[in-house]
Amino acid sequence: MSALVAALIALAGLTLIKATPLIFAALGGVLSERSGVVNIGLEGIMIGGAFTAVCVSGATGSPLLGAIAGIFAGAALAALLAFVATRLAFDQIVAGTGLNIVALGGAAFGLVLVYGQPGASHEVPAFGKTGEAVLTVLALVLAGALSLFLNRTPWGLRIRACGENPRAAASAGIDPLQTRFWSVVAGGAIASLGGVYLALAELDLYSDGMTAGRGFIALAAVIFGRWTPFGATGAALFFGFFSALQYTLQRVGIPSELMQALPYLAALVALAGLAGRVRAPASDGIPYVAEAVRSR
Amino acid sequence: MPAFFRLRIVRDLAVALIVVFGVGSIAMLLAHVSPIDGFSALFDGAFGTTSEFAETLVSATALLFPALGIALAFRAGLFNIGAEGQLVLGGLAAGVAGVFVPGPPIVSIVVTLLAGAIAGGVWGGIAGFLKARFGANEVIATLMLNVIAALVATYAVDGPLHFATANEGETPLLAHTAWLPTIVPDTRLTISIVIALALAFALRFVFNRTVFGFELRAAGEAPEAARRSGVDLSRIALLAMTFSGAIAGLGGATLVTGVLHRFNTGLSPGYGFVAIAVALVGNLEPIWIAVAAFAFGILQNGALSMQAEANVPRDIVNVVEGLVIIALAGRRYVASRRST
Repeated sequence: MSALVAALIALAGLTLIKATPLIFAALGGVLSERSGVVNIGLEGIMIGGAFTAVCVSGATGSPLLGAIAGIFAGAALAALLAFVATRLAFDQIVAGTGLNIVALGGAAFGLVLVYGQPGASHEVPAFGKTGEAVLTVLALVLAGALSLFLNRTPWGLRIRACGENPRAAASAGIDPLQTRFWSVVAGGAIASLGGVYLALAELDLYSDGMTAGRGFIALAAVIFGRWTPFGATGAALFFGFFSALQYTLQRVGIPSELMQALPYLAALVALAGLAGRVRAPASDGIPYVAEAVRSR
Repeated sequence: MPAFFRLRIVRDLAVALIVVFGVGSIAMLLAHVSPIDGFSALFDGAFGTTSEFAETLVSATALLFPALGIALAFRAGLFNIGAEGQLVLGGLAAGVAGVFVPGPPIVSIVVTLLAGAIAGGVWGGIAGFLKARFGANEVIATLMLNVIAALVATYAVDGPLHFATANEGETPLLAHTAWLPTIVPDTRLTISIVIALALAFALRFVFNRTVFGFELRAAGEAPEAARRSGVDLSRIALLAMTFSGAIAGLGGATLVTGVLHRFNTGLSPGYGFVAIAVALVGNLEPIWIAVAAFAFGILQNGALSMQAEANVPRDIVNVVEGLVIIALAGRRYVASRRST
């Protein structure tokens, strides 16, 4: 009996560990999508955050500086998407897909330049177990903070207005392009923490493919969580549970690849089950073009 | 209107070239290599000898299949980001079928390629079914299916489909009857390039001259109007994703039967993603896509010798390709979109 309890506690702990990067990425996605910009580039932003954090931590010996640099890198990548998605009114899905490829290639390129080898970096100073716990708590706190911000502050109201009806928001004096731009950038900063967590808390290095599609699961978590911070966090925990389960079930002898596929299968099923029953922000994914420009 | 169209393609090609040479040069300078040396190594590797040029065409062919599949789905307003997974599973199915299918080469080859197309079609069809039946977002579904496909392939070749005669991560060599014949001796350039080009012309006909092609475009450009005039959008979603996946799967099968002669989990260095850039540069028009595939084939193959001879990590090609995708995201591909 006590063995079972111990196993369950271990599973719960592992769930939190596996869910943390998903929570960060999903919260970044929520902020971005509530303003009306779908961010398919979450995966790339996590990669950029992870790689930059490792490089700077290695160079300065300070994982904290590494984390800060990682956040800026994520924000910078998000700014590229934000710029083309707002000022240029480009297709968000296509641009986000491109961003993922840029980040993956850029990190692989950077690995060779900085560490002289492909595949993985050296080990660098990292946060370790304590940092893992701190970042997990930070993720949960951030969920609460983002929920308050979106629902209880004037800025949050403006962001939501731009996601629902940017034209009405504009006639109320809000600049939808500015609002969306900074929401995407801030969302990128939050999502990059997911990459920082993987690189400097769960591990202490960068390796190609280490994000393993977590940014994509986070996109599903945003939908599953009905575009709310708490909902997305709950969904991230749900998918994190399936990630954790694979380590438990592996011991029972189920092939590891099939177990690794579990969270993705869960996300796929959730996606199909929820579609049509949840409502995205009305203008999510649709570029905003001001009237004057539009009539050109 | 046709003149305008051509103009837009010219403009987009110019944008793509600026990105390639601009960003490429910056990256080479970062790697302490003169861009002149870097690019000459790249072009030398792509065109230097007959066999190098043949390899460029091999890369171009590998990109052309998934790019054509992507174009088909995109035309219907469906963002099939899952060509990579469809291609990998197509390759896996061909790798298994090619070991077993006996008989004269023509039968063996046709059955093996068909196996790949069916597997890719099923994988794409899953996303199409989820879209048609439940309205599930095909972008996220195909992204998930990519990850799952890679895991399935790894599991299959080392697990239930493991052959005693094969190494880890791959299937045994195909029966010789299933090998695609080469068209240039002593190279890996096979009739797959002919198949790909024929497919491009066939798709051009389908897109421009058939009811199905018209329905695809109507569903993509004006879904509401299409629905009101009797186009079954669910059917289009299912068919478009299935055919799109089948074309990518066929591409994976030609890599197995023509290039590697076995399935390997490293079959694709991301062809399914680069193919998105190819399809966009080609403006979703099959013949232009073939031209774009050739251009990206140069990059893809030239990058190998750029890395070997000029010491520029070849991953820079991916950065350039990703930026090309972003730069060309300005076109209007879909009338309106929802997130679920």
